[in-house]
Amino acid sequence: MEKIYEPELRNLLKKCYQCGRCSGVCQLSKVQKYTPSKIIQLILEGFENKVLESGELWDCLTCNQCLKDCPVKINFADIVRMARYKMRHEKNQSSDEFVAHKGIYTTISEIMSRPYINPDRNMDWIPKNCKISDKGDILYYVGCLPFFNYEFENLNSIAISTLKLIYQIEKKPIVVFKEEICCGHDIYWGQGKLKTFIKLAKKNLEKFKNAGVRTIVTACAECYRTFKIDYANIFDEFDENFEVKHIIDYIYENWKSQKIEFKNPNKSEKEIQFTYHDPCRLSRFLPENDNITNKVREIFREFKYLGYQFNEMAHNKENSLCCGVNSWMNCNEKSKALRYKRMQEAKLAGSKLITSCPKCNIHLTCLQNDFEDLASIEILDFSEFIINHVKVIRTKSKGD
Amino acid sequence: MFCCNWCSYAGADLAGVSRFQYPPNMRIIRVMCSGRVDPVFVMKALKEGADGVLVTGCHIGDCHYISGNEYAKERFERLHKIVIKQLGINEKRVRLEWVSASEGKRFADLITEFTNQIKELGPLKVI
Ligand code: SF4
Ligand code: SF4
Ligand code: FES
Repeated sequence: MEKIYEPELRNLLKKCYQCGRCSGVCQLSKVQKYTPSKIIQLILEGFENKVLESGELWDCLTCNQCLKDCPVKINFADIVRMARYKMRHEKNQSSDEFVAHKGIYTTISEIMSRPYINPDRNMDWIPKNCKISDKGDILYYVGCLPFFNYEFENLNSIAISTLKLIYQIEKKPIVVFKEEICCGHDIYWGQGKLKTFIKLAKKNLEKFKNAGVRTIVTACAECYRTFKIDYANIFDEFDENFEVKHIIDYIYENWKSQKIEFKNPNKSEKEIQFTYHDPCRLSRFLPENDNITNKVREIFREFKYLGYQFNEMAHNKENSLCCGVNSWMNCNEKSKALRYKRMQEAKLAGSKLITSCPKCNIHLTCLQNDFEDLASIEILDFSEFIINHVKVIRTKSKGD
Repeated sequence: MFCCNWCSYAGADLAGVSRFQYPPNMRIIRVMCSGRVDPVFVMKALKEGADGVLVTGCHIGDCHYISGNEYAKERFERLHKIVIKQLGINEKRVRLEWVSASEGKRFADLITEFTNQIKELGPLKVI
């Protein structure tokens, strides 16, 4: 707990010199009044109580735009996360009024954190030609997609494409847990239930260890960040024992080591214009040396030869606009306005929009129901986009 | 247990005034219609420690709001298939039933049966 929680918010903020940049760039401030620098100043001056009581920290998108532009790297989203814990435990506030879908998904995650719950996931989606097992060194961590199917459609296709990709490359059974539980991301960031998060993390670690996993591949931006940064932060040696890879990473490495190539059997005459939406968890939430944003672009440049033209949106990489909803928090007309802006940019950039976070996918797709003019954009997950264009190179020299 | 206001709650009343005995270990929450019972309520109840959740409404076709119970039925099917089952929770713990205002006896029987079933399954905590 100490590792993810600092009871004295003030200590974390002392460096701030009130330049006000964060309030200028804050994505939320584009649609409502929101001034992180003012909140910071209030806390520094000793009005923390007032800030917590007002509940305004439930509004933050935890998109981390403010961190990217802060000269002294004050991590406001982290403050929000801890403040939410305090608001819940000291001020008796509840997030119910802010959480989307009335909190069903966070409730599910919470139930999964209980020691006596052992999920029994539906495995029907697993394609016939892919072999899975419950022990082995490569794990495909599916994430909560099967539960999101409760209200959203077609999410299995992300899991299917990802598993197919991994299986094609590895050519050996991939670990997929039938009793997989949530990584805890939403509980951690959105709900401020840090203890529940730790429970989930411990339960997960146990499962990884028992299955003898070495590499964890996931297609979800949030799971990736949670394992890679937050789990590594809580558990010593998590880094050494497990290698966490986002599917982009995974494909990139295999491509660079010439295990796969990109092909398009049905290349069309006309170039298809497409663009990419960077999820915050893969752009602003990772250490500087993590190049996923660039790696994915390198792959996309290669797609030029496959009849696809990659275009950037007006805001991209670290500056990309937020999909509007984080950790199932605050889906409202303001967040829709943010999403609308994003989709407008996407529309100018191409007919396909690729993302690598299932949640961005859900939220942006959801907006299409409200606006006919946006319905023409095809929103795809990275894995769905490349699945038919990956060819495994068979090396003859290897006898296996 | 969630009861809709128009039929099932009246059914519960009838069970009461007719002095039918039923197990005391359940709590009735009155809602206006079974369609009002968001599956989230059920999940929250389970999270907060309920061992089973019974939702009752008017018989199909009798709903005071015309089709609230049909809506409830649809939602519960999804909830069962996608959430309850995948969480590894025994599906018998969550049930949707129709009880009309005149079925006081059935109300009591239903509760007895449901309670016994849950007792058999034991508390949710130990599975
Ligand atoms: S950008 Fe950083 S230093 Fe400037 S006001 Fe915001 S938190 Fe303080
Ligand atoms: S995390 Fe995003 S929404 Fe929250 S204060 Fe920073 S820029 Fe604004
Ligand atoms: S009023 Fe009874 S089910 Fe709708």
